[in-house]
Amino acid sequence: MSEPFEPKIVAFVCTYCTYAGADLAGTSRIKYAPNVRIVRLPCTGRISPMFILKALQKGADGVLVSGCHPGDCHFAQGNYHARRRWTVFRSLLSFTGIPEERIKFSWVSAAEGAKFAELINDVTEQIRDLGPFEQYQELQKVIETQSSY
Amino acid sequence: MTRILLHDRLDDCLAAWRSSGFRVLAPTRRDDLTRFDEVRSAAEMALDIIMPERTIKDHFFLQTEPMIRYRIKKQEIDTEEMLPPEQKRLFFGVRPCDASGLAIDDQLFGWDYKDAYWFQRRENSVIVTIACTKADDFCMCTSVQLSPDSTKGSDVMLHPLKDGRGWQVVTLTDRGKSLVDGIASILQEGTAETAPTASVPVKFDVDKVASWLADPASFESHLWKEVSQRCIGCGSCTFLCPTCHCFDIQDEGDTYSGIRRKNWDSCSFAMFTMHTSGHNPRNTQSTRWRQRIMHKFNYYRGKFDVNSCSGCGRCTRQCPVDMGITETLQVISNLPR
Amino acid sequence: MGIQEQYRIEAAELLSSGAVKLVIGYGQGSTPDRRRPVFIRSAEESKQLLLDSYCVANLSGYLVPEGLLSDGKSVGVFLKPDGIRSVNILTAEAQVNPDQVVIFGFDIENGNTKPLSGRKAIDFAPLIESMKSTGLSPELQHEADRLEQMSASERFEYWKAQFAKCIKCYACRQVCPMCYCRRCIVDVNQPQWVNTSSHTLGNFEWNIVRAFHLAGRCVACGGCDRACPVNIPLRLINHRMSKEALDAFDHFAGESADQKPVLATFRQDDPETFIL
Repeated sequence: MSEPFEPKIVAFVCTYCTYAGADLAGTSRIKYAPNVRIVRLPCTGRISPMFILKALQKGADGVLVSGCHPGDCHFAQGNYHARRRWTVFRSLLSFTGIPEERIKFSWVSAAEGAKFAELINDVTEQIRDLGPFEQYQELQKVIETQSSY
Repeated sequence: MTRILLHDRLDDCLAAWRSSGFRVLAPTRRDDLTRFDEVRSAAEMALDIIMPERTIKDHFFLQTEPMIRYRIKKQEIDTEEMLPPEQKRLFFGVRPCDASGLAIDDQLFGWDYKDAYWFQRRENSVIVTIACTKADDFCMCTSVQLSPDSTKGSDVMLHPLKDGRGWQVVTLTDRGKSLVDGIASILQEGTAETAPTASVPVKFDVDKVASWLADPASFESHLWKEVSQRCIGCGSCTFLCPTCHCFDIQDEGDTYSGIRRKNWDSCSFAMFTMHTSGHNPRNTQSTRWRQRIMHKFNYYRGKFDVNSCSGCGRCTRQCPVDMGITETLQVISNLPR
Repeated sequence: MGIQEQYRIEAAELLSSGAVKLVIGYGQGSTPDRRRPVFIRSAEESKQLLLDSYCVANLSGYLVPEGLLSDGKSVGVFLKPDGIRSVNILTAEAQVNPDQVVIFGFDIENGNTKPLSGRKAIDFAPLIESMKSTGLSPELQHEADRLEQMSASERFEYWKAQFAKCIKCYACRQVCPMCYCRRCIVDVNQPQWVNTSSHTLGNFEWNIVRAFHLAGRCVACGGCDRACPVNIPLRLINHRMSKEALDAFDHFAGESADQKPVLATFRQDDPETFIL
């Protein structure tokens, strides 16, 4: 019996909303899929597309980026800047053939513990259906072999 | 005994070579670029071009090459050498300039220690060169003491026949001889008139250039700034040069394991001589350009008695701002004595 | 009198009077159809200046490096509208003082050059504004459409083949007027964000990062595309980014010297079609 594929998902979240929401899910004892590795940043405005690329490079099958709802950013404007960045970055990924469905964005507030758990569960299942990110990971494997015959 | 290889027997040669374990690489046009790549039929070869945009160097000194795999354990670090595979390769349709680049670089990669990565590939490869019957405005092999039919670096030389049916085959080395003996049944005996080689006018006096460069007063000449004003400091000329060989060592990995790699580097890059202290002895493009010319026509010559240049002209052909070695050497060559 | 002659005379006058210390223009290249950047410092040298339909390179990139403008003096430069937009962007990003840039404006239409009247970037404002309304290049859009019609995995295979050719020569970066960072992100190794090795993965990362950093800043001068020695169609990626900036944020790069950079500003009602 083969093991089901367990996707590796990296979540870049802001401290004051989504991370707090994740915390709330924990203290409320709400179960959610263990596939996610959470990386806490002060604000989504700090999240550079480099982080997303790095996560993919290191073997993530999916990436989640989540922060405060527009208007509620702890630093007033960080998430507005992030939103613009993500709009542009998504179109770039899509144009180069990196599936947009693997990079997800959301707004989760500090009070939305249940939403966070549901989000993680949904995202995990969606990435599980997409399967491992073999296209990218194959590029990683080719690095190790001798090119040029 | 002279022999002839006809065009329409080339596929038979390919089949023979492949079945004896060679991978055959030839100039080919793929994905909007001409370069040496594996071919399985003569139809895939692009032999009518002046020269492929990328050089044959790419297959001996790889643009990025794994050297060692390392694993960091509690008490020690395990390393595993990653040498090139022992794969026989045949390079068909090489230009004399590209072949000479290999011979020129052999001296560097073998002078203080033998670079295993380079030589393992060299020892497993046979170079079959085709003499040039046409050249363009950028070719300058004749200016650097080479020629459109130079045999330097080649194992077999093919001279195009005047009637266009094929090539006259000349074996140059033992490796070449055993290759040609292996296809003896496919070749025809006899001679035929060969086409005249390309006419490549000499553009500068390389010996005069070398002696000007060797003069210490030339180092501070205002000429360097003047000729390099438009240089933007990209690596195109160095990376496309059959003889350029600078590299950078990079470790790629994570906390516990990774691969140490050898990557192409360029003296044109601003960061090339950047010290950890932040000091950069070559912090202007003109000093970097000076170094490039000095290295190729002064330092390398002094050490190895040969110009680090095969005269292919790619540096100028491909330069985004029409720089390249030729013009600088012409300017130096035309300086009043 | 043709535009070439007219501009030679003007360049000579500006140089002799000391109004500019340097004129950056086009001169004869190493073959009849090549033009190269030339740096004219005296009236006598202005005879080297050429202007014809082969003069396509965007010369604004030479305004930025090595402290050229730090002595407060002015520099003349031959620019097409794309180059004028570049000057606007450089001004908006505080890299160039537009009062120090004297523009010899021209455009190429049907194989002929025509002069554009104006001296400083601001003089060309009506022209640049009218460019925005005509939108981005239809030819580029047509080429990009071909890619958009492929499936994501076909696109990935296409770009994988293209980026496998990349040798990380950085000609694209060096020729681009917008790539002026003292230390490019790929030259940072604390931490190393982008693999410097030129394997396909490293090449993918480099080209994606550069395209992202150019989003809303690229003026489609074509410099990177022409400079690439391995013929990667960089124009397509940069065009796609320009299109996104225009469609999503109504941002046309280089529209004016006080235009805010597209990713350094925002609107509260920016589109958010993809938030879960």
